[in-house]
Amino acid sequence: MPKIGVYVCHCGSNIAGVVDVEAVRDFAEELPDVAVSRKTLFMCSDAGQEMIKQDIRDGIVDRVVVAACTPRTHEPIFRKALESAGLNKYLFEMANIRDQDSWVHANDKEGATEKAKKLLASAVGKSRGLEPLEDKYVEVTPNALVIGGGVAGIFSALELADMGYKTYVVEKEPSIGGVMAQLDKTFPTNDCSACILTPVMVEAGTHPNIELMTYSEVQEVDGFIGNFKVKVRKKQTYVDWNKCTGCGACAEACPAKVPDEFNAGLNNRGAAYIHFPQAVPKKAVVDMEHCINCAGREIGQEPKISKKTGKPRYAPCEKACPAEAINRSLEYDPKGEIVELDVGTIIVATGYQVMGKENFKEMAPDSPNVITALQLERLISATGPTDGKFLRPSDNEKPKTVTFVSCMGSRDVNFHTYCSRICCMYMIKQARLLKEKYPDLNINMHFIDVRCAGKDYDEYYVGARKMGINIFKGKVGGLETLPQDRLRVMAYDMESCTPIEYDSDLVVLATAVELPETAKKLGQTVGVQFCGANFFKEMHPKLGPVETSTGGVFLAGCCQGPKDIPDSVAQGKGAAASAAVPLAQGRVTIEPLISEVDQDKCSGCGICVPLCPYSAIKLREKDEKLRAAIDIAQCKGCGVCTSACPSGAITLHGYTEESIFNQIEALTS
Amino acid sequence: MGLEIDGKKINEAVKTIVDYGGDGILNCVQCGACSAVCPGVRAGMPVLCRLLIRRILNGQLEETIEEMSTWACQSCNRCTEICPQGVRPQEVVFAFRRYQANDLAISTSAFGPLMSFYETGHAVTVKDAAEKREQVGLDGNPPTSLNDEEAQKELQALLDASPMGELGIF
Repeated sequence: MPKIGVYVCHCGSNIAGVVDVEAVRDFAEELPDVAVSRKTLFMCSDAGQEMIKQDIRDGIVDRVVVAACTPRTHEPIFRKALESAGLNKYLFEMANIRDQDSWVHANDKEGATEKAKKLLASAVGKSRGLEPLEDKYVEVTPNALVIGGGVAGIFSALELADMGYKTYVVEKEPSIGGVMAQLDKTFPTNDCSACILTPVMVEAGTHPNIELMTYSEVQEVDGFIGNFKVKVRKKQTYVDWNKCTGCGACAEACPAKVPDEFNAGLNNRGAAYIHFPQAVPKKAVVDMEHCINCAGREIGQEPKISKKTGKPRYAPCEKACPAEAINRSLEYDPKGEIVELDVGTIIVATGYQVMGKENFKEMAPDSPNVITALQLERLISATGPTDGKFLRPSDNEKPKTVTFVSCMGSRDVNFHTYCSRICCMYMIKQARLLKEKYPDLNINMHFIDVRCAGKDYDEYYVGARKMGINIFKGKVGGLETLPQDRLRVMAYDMESCTPIEYDSDLVVLATAVELPETAKKLGQTVGVQFCGANFFKEMHPKLGPVETSTGGVFLAGCCQGPKDIPDSVAQGKGAAASAAVPLAQGRVTIEPLISEVDQDKCSGCGICVPLCPYSAIKLREKDEKLRAAIDIAQCKGCGVCTSACPSGAITLHGYTEESIFNQIEALTS
Repeated sequence: MGLEIDGKKINEAVKTIVDYGGDGILNCVQCGACSAVCPGVRAGMPVLCRLLIRRILNGQLEETIEEMSTWACQSCNRCTEICPQGVRPQEVVFAFRRYQANDLAISTSAFGPLMSFYETGHAVTVKDAAEKREQVGLDGNPPTSLNDEEAQKELQALLDASPMGELGIF
């Protein structure tokens, strides 16, 4: 006969303000097998836990049911209390009478009290069928994978590598660096972005514990915390990176014209190209999608012989390469190479993209003088298409009036309802940089609100006002195109309640931060969830900012939500610390609340195998017969196999048949 | 006198406008994009769109009832197209006009179109278009109440019986 101790919590007034706690306690006394029923103000306090421990030590109870807040946050505390008093921690059960009762039925005290009784009766019923269980453990592969080589990913990798763990960094572009590498300067200190990022990129590139896998994509993720098997596709570069010195001769020789992604499409690059001057690794690739096969040099074929000279004809990139790294006669596999990695933890740091101007029809997107803020970064960067000269795209003339428009696609029910968080600050930065260099430039900025929450940020904004930058409250309604590619701005000054209309030479749109399509696909591959704003979802918005609902998978940077460089770095380092925990422990604990197959009862029918959503069940040969076997590390304890097994051979520990029937009886009586 | 913030008055104002059809008003974040594109605001009628909504959200219904700006709305709907929060500002302006009209606080600028409506069934007449219509083989007058004396009489009876009959302009 079990001796069940019931403990009802007031949770201050959270529960007791709605539920008649004394009535619930009284009710529990009459339930079968209940040895003692108590109540207190806060069960989670030391005094509350001591009450449980004392009853266990006194031999009054051998099973514990707490009716309180929620197991989500408090189950671990009470389990520990049982353990420290010498009782198996899985002989604990919780009735959720706060989150699922008093909080949702605050206007129906009687109903809430009756519901609390039912929930408690159900928990007591379940506890009668509980059995003692032991934790299980699996070994951990002490390697980590970081997906995405932007600033968040780089710092995650450096932290892990410095802790001594072998870390792979997979980046889809030819170089690491991410969006930060595209920026000219950074707020609020006006540090040159490349100057502060390049040394860190080099450190990541040369760290003995870091293996950079650029121009690569994660294709498949199998396994579980501690033991992930990851397939990475190294895309075909068509350049021998062992020989390439990054001199850029091939890029100069290549006659193909492809919009340069690094310069946000403001100019063209060749099909043979180096990502950007400070690239790490600084290696060339041939983008075969845009290659025009000069001289008929199809990949994998011998060169044609010139009728004039009798000599073989080579493509300009081959001829230009002084290191002989390009040989188009070789039979390259266009799919590249698949590399398999064994890692214990994964950090997803895939970053973001900004919306294109074409989304905003009212903002004259066809005008060359309407650009996104990222394009302006490239336009004023020394490594940009104009070598840092501030010229408007239509005629390469220096603009006299520049307009900044905030909240394009952010805070907008037609696109994204969220605030992109970084735009106010980077627009102010861009305006300040321009005003410093060209004091005569007329700069008009139009905001809904100016949002400058951050260390030294508001001072930076006030400084912009002092510099003579015109700041207006009121969203721009539209742009009209005028002759000579000039633009008419239709704005409004909310403070004076007056419309504003003026001509501008260049209009900069602060377009919204969003998750790129490629990252969405990757999220599904890795198994992370999405939040309402379509970024990757962290485990808890406050207390689990780097974890995900998948054990061993962590988040860093803008893939989790828009954030600036300091926050991205902080989250990158935070994710590294969390991702290192299982690696440092060397083994991970598996809660035994998972399914187990009774090998004697199993008929080997295999019905459970395709039903398992976690691919945890495989048929294995035992005594020359096939029997289902469950991988303890992959089973999540969902119970699908248990309910489907026609032989009743599968038990879901912690949810025995007796427990379930007791619960049904309690809830339906 | 500064603005007195009176929760009850604000709730009443919002409810009045919502009941008259301006039901997106509470979505407004006062970004001002509507006023940036409003031809009425540009023509010097400031209490339209953003500022009208602000006044209503301040509870200043009665204080604004004599406002003439609202009658300058051309129903172009650009405010509703540009609004990033789904407020549908034009509906708010029309709701406010209904509130004004119920107290006969109608701008004299609206009398001309009203009188034309009474006489012909159209607030804005098409007389300049008659010649062009005939050139392409249409009747000079469109086949609406302009061509239907019976319909015109019915409209006039309705207007006479409505609160607007008391304006004394028909």
